[in-house]
Amino acid sequence: MDIEQKQAEIIDQLVKRASTCKSEALGPLIIEATSHPSLFAFSEILALPNVAQLEGTTDSVYLDLLRLFAHGTWGDYKCNATRLPHLSPDQILKLKQLTVLTLAESNKVLPYDTLMVELDVSNVRELEDFLINECMYAGIVRGKLDQLKRCFEVPFAAGRDLRPGQLGNMLHTLSNWLNTSENLLISIQDKIKWADNMSEMDKKHRKEAEEGVEEVKKSLSMKRE
Amino acid sequence: MAPSSSSGLTFKLHPLVIVNISDHYTRVKTQLNPPASICASGHGSNNGEAMIQQNPRVYGCVIGVQRGRTVEIFNSFELLYDPSTQTLDRSFLEKKQELYKKVFPDFYILGWYSTGSDAEESDMHIHRALMDINESPVYVLLNPAINHAQKDLPVTIYESELHVIDGIPQLIFVHTSYTIETVEAERISVDHVAHLKPSDGGSAATQLAAHLTGIHSAIKMLNSRIRVLYQYLAAMQKDDIPCDNSLLRQVSSLLRRLPAMESERFQDNFLMEYNDKLLITYLAMITTCSSNMNEMVDKFNTAYDRNTRRGGRTAFM
Repeated sequence: MDIEQKQAEIIDQLVKRASTCKSEALGPLIIEATSHPSLFAFSEILALPNVAQLEGTTDSVYLDLLRLFAHGTWGDYKCNATRLPHLSPDQILKLKQLTVLTLAESNKVLPYDTLMVELDVSNVRELEDFLINECMYAGIVRGKLDQLKRCFEVPFAAGRDLRPGQLGNMLHTLSNWLNTSENLLISIQDKIKWADNMSEMDKKHRKEAEEGVEEVKKSLSMKRE
Repeated sequence: MAPSSSSGLTFKLHPLVIVNISDHYTRVKTQLNPPASICASGHGSNNGEAMIQQNPRVYGCVIGVQRGRTVEIFNSFELLYDPSTQTLDRSFLEKKQELYKKVFPDFYILGWYSTGSDAEESDMHIHRALMDINESPVYVLLNPAINHAQKDLPVTIYESELHVIDGIPQLIFVHTSYTIETVEAERISVDHVAHLKPSDGGSAATQLAAHLTGIHSAIKMLNSRIRVLYQYLAAMQKDDIPCDNSLLRQVSSLLRRLPAMESERFQDNFLMEYNDKLLITYLAMITTCSSNMNEMVDKFNTAYDRNTRRGGRTAFM
């Protein structure tokens, strides 16, 4: 998918820089990563050993910030605003975009009211502008805005970084999908067999009826003679 | 005889060429072996002739465009082959080339085609002959043998390269890879041919079976792909392979698209359409039944009703 390709180069660059620089310089690097307009994936940077070392040091706020961007939402930020460094407008925008992605994870139809609460927007016009400009043009979501029902239908949303537990869920969903499609295959085969059987029976029935007619005709002609 | 090519050219083949070649071959084969006399020709002539008769080699020219390193083969036409001199009819080729140039000014002669299972030595003569029109012609070979187990097209494209063998530089054929490129019109016709239903299978059951078989194979392919994803994720969970986050993200976004259709509007519309269809089938069935009944009653009346008619009507039986 194109988003992944767009991000792949940026991720590579940042990973290279992060692995070479020391822990003090990692702070500004993280800030740069979180404000980059096309970068929505942070788990590669999170996985680097230098970054993990930030835990427990004075700069651990940056690690928490990175974790927030990888898994959390705007709501999480507001709750913990005191512990985390102040965000620039770029970062705020990105965090709101990521919030939309998280909301799209659970439901396919997002009502405007929920979106307005989650994103701290007061009127529908601003919300729609945000959705159209920041989310759809950036390519992270594709969907339809339904003004009459005041909801946003999302058939496609880009993936966020995975929390550790989500892999199990994904496996579960995949296995369900597999089972359903296998059952579907079996029922289609049954239907094909049924259709063939029905046509066989129909042909037999027709033949029997014709044979009966022939017999009656013969008996009639013999009676005449 | 056919190592891989190293010229770096990318070849794109249009389905029209493949259909043309197979059509040419089928026509020649049917003309040589008209169906009624296949048994006769098998016994009378000697084996060599019978073999050639049953598998004629056809020859023709392929034309297209070459832009930079991409060679795109659009169309083809047939050529006359003179088996005595083992050359192609030159004047015919030039005449055809002129005609095609008028209609398609951009197309050049890119090479030639033939049928058979493998490239042969005699093909090199024809190849050399064409080298004065195009300095590096391509040779498209179609294998007309039908092999049901084979999944790819039996079409191979060869290029000629100068290789040094035993100290002598020789031109030999080398294999090149190609991709199939379609224009919208071609895609429609190929799709149409792929979905040919048997013309006498008018009964509803065979059509239904054909349709369901199509759906069945499509879902089977989907199934195998999902299985691959599943095994990949399972291996990742057991740490057999390193985690590729970008892939995991894509899979998670894919899984979020399920279930694909869940709104109530869909359910309502679906049920409504289903009920409509059932209702119409029922109505059609009732109409047929009532008309049959009507006919039967008429026949019954005509056959058995003579008691109520006085005067004039004689008995039928």
